[in-house]
Amino acid sequence: MNERMSRREALRRAGLWAGAAGVWAGLPKRTWAALPAPEGWSPEEERLLTIIGDTLLPATAGSPGAGAVEIGRFIAMMASTCSPPETVSLIQSGLREIEALSRAEFARGFIDLAAAQRETLLITYEKKGASLAPAKGRHPLRPIKQWAVLGYFTSEPGATQALRYDPIPGGYRGAIPLAPGDRTWAT
Amino acid sequence: MANYPTTSGSRENTFDAIVIGSGISGGWAAKELCEHGLKTLVLERGRDVQHLKDYPTALKNPWDLPHRGKLPHTIARENPIVKRCYAFDETTAHFFVKDGEHPYVQEKPFDWIRGYQVGGKSLIWARQTQRWSRFDFEGPARDGFGEWPISYEDLAPWYTHVERFVGISGNRDGVETLPDGEFLPAWEMNDVEKHLSGKIRGAYADRFVVQGRCAHLTAPQAIHLEQGRGKCQARNLCYRGCPFGGYFSSNSGTLPWAARTGNLTMRPHAVVAAILHDPGSGRASGVRVIDAQTQETKEFFARVIFVNAACLNTNLILLNSQSARFPTGLGNDHDLLGRHVAFHNYRGSLAGQMEGFADSYYSGRRPTQAMMPNFRNVRKQEMDFQRGYMVFFGASRASWTQGNYLPGAGAAFKERLTRPGPWGVTMMMQGETVPRRENHVRLAADRRDAWGIPQLVTSIGYHENDEKMIQDFLEQGEAMLSAAGVKKITKTDDRRAPGLDIHEMGGVRMGADPKKSLLNRWNQLHTCPNVFVTDGACMASTGTQNPSLTFMALAARAANYAVAAMKKGTL
Repeated sequence: MNERMSRREALRRAGLWAGAAGVWAGLPKRTWAALPAPEGWSPEEERLLTIIGDTLLPATAGSPGAGAVEIGRFIAMMASTCSPPETVSLIQSGLREIEALSRAEFARGFIDLAAAQRETLLITYEKKGASLAPAKGRHPLRPIKQWAVLGYFTSEPGATQALRYDPIPGGYRGAIPLAPGDRTWAT
Repeated sequence: MANYPTTSGSRENTFDAIVIGSGISGGWAAKELCEHGLKTLVLERGRDVQHLKDYPTALKNPWDLPHRGKLPHTIARENPIVKRCYAFDETTAHFFVKDGEHPYVQEKPFDWIRGYQVGGKSLIWARQTQRWSRFDFEGPARDGFGEWPISYEDLAPWYTHVERFVGISGNRDGVETLPDGEFLPAWEMNDVEKHLSGKIRGAYADRFVVQGRCAHLTAPQAIHLEQGRGKCQARNLCYRGCPFGGYFSSNSGTLPWAARTGNLTMRPHAVVAAILHDPGSGRASGVRVIDAQTQETKEFFARVIFVNAACLNTNLILLNSQSARFPTGLGNDHDLLGRHVAFHNYRGSLAGQMEGFADSYYSGRRPTQAMMPNFRNVRKQEMDFQRGYMVFFGASRASWTQGNYLPGAGAAFKERLTRPGPWGVTMMMQGETVPRRENHVRLAADRRDAWGIPQLVTSIGYHENDEKMIQDFLEQGEAMLSAAGVKKITKTDDRRAPGLDIHEMGGVRMGADPKKSLLNRWNQLHTCPNVFVTDGACMASTGTQNPSLTFMALAARAANYAVAAMKKGTL
């Protein structure tokens, strides 16, 4: 029994590491590499944001996850450049809360969790956010989700693989049947 | 500074005609004057923008944009005014004046949105092009707040003239409040819009939901191909400049057309400080220009001058054109110059959700919306407010941006965002405001711009009439959407400042009576007839329609009048 448990645990751990490592190995150099790393963010925070983004929008059949477009750098960059100034500290406090919640619930850091656990934890965090978030203002997960969703669905793989992107439609058709499985337009 | 010709070598600086401003109305004046053989100088205060060549973002994919189209916070913070404009973003900011570049004084809040470049705001306009109806021209006299010296019949042939060249898509709807024009095929409505249209028409005999008419080539004709323009590709990225020439702008249409006559001289970076008045002849002799880059002052001379600097800057130039004969501004014998400025009331909007239609979708990005011409006070005064409003509305399915507010994480969350969401319906008003004497612009006594020209003071506000109209629109909008089965309706008064509509009009209004107006029926200053004003400044009222088509028709009509009068020797 014990042996089986530890084997299962070992397999699970190997799997999750393979998963997290896979996210990192799969990062294309082109997506955000052109952008300087935003000031005020540690590599660990950026990495945590990428894993969170990839948990929100994981790889599914036919399209990669948000981790594949280095979403952490985009979230950090957009928080630093295109958001009200308090957004950076809001997100960073959120990262600390997510990390603390992970240790409380699963006795490990967020990055070390299995994909399913990460997903469960973010859903839990989103729901109980009111008690964790700063007394007033936004839930820290809101700007994280906002920029993750924007960054992913406007990325080339997000727009062209997860969605349908037609840069030059040529015309407008006002009524076309929507078949099950048809995806939404990227723009 | 003496206000008469001082430049040596004036012969080289002399033209048949000068057009101040290269936007949508100035482009039309230039085209008509050049086509009739007049050597025409177009003065543009901003930089040159060449069609196709100077549209740096036109072909960018979303992922090519560093901030994915969003404005960096530093730009937003430095531009509290222009950032409120719906079209100002990472892909279009280069076509908008930044707040710090050209300051003005807001005695009352006024969001002045400007485009200083060759082509002006014709690059970044919303391209909605409805004719005025007779009810609009007759309204001011009927309601006792002014008069139009022309009728719909006077302008109708010029609407036709302009529409053929510009290319307007639309249906011939046969609605008296919205005259039909020369149309290319209309854009389609989607299934929910058709549903709304049918339900509203069924519930209200006098409310017509029609497809918006817009300056897009749905089926280019020979005249458009000759301009080098092609079919609109339904990208709806128009504010970046169109690489297909699918929508009309000065840059893609009138200016190159004028240039190929050989009669056009285009001078960018030319800030017009004043129009020069010659006391001997009683006419304007030319204009004084400050080079925006070198600060050098130059004067240019012509037999006729068209002022098309865009509404408020046209007012500013005339106010600053002071002389012994006109100490308070050219043509201003009665303290009317700069007064009766009006705009469009955009404050009210509604949104709601339409259940069903789950298996219907659309393709392409349509550059227009459905609309409903005004149905209030049309034939007689009926309401407790004056005039009326046009309604725009549209329906679309929620997209991946639902992720901004939907809860969840993981594959199911992602999957949900990749499928078209529920149908949303939106509605907004475009209300006529009544020109009022107290709504005015004037020169600041103590503040000047970077070229030493007095800054403009804006003193333009809402009136109780506007508040009542907003309430009526919100009530009627809710009733119409409810009748069509729309649920979860929300009503909004965004309390925006005037100006954000970018439909400011008046200040140099037309009228038959020189005591009550500045311009006659041909857009000439009553007291200085070789000066024509054919942009928004000339408007005696605002109507409920998007105004650019009317500006273009007035400019073409006045330019042809000027040419004919010059040939006859009467001008």
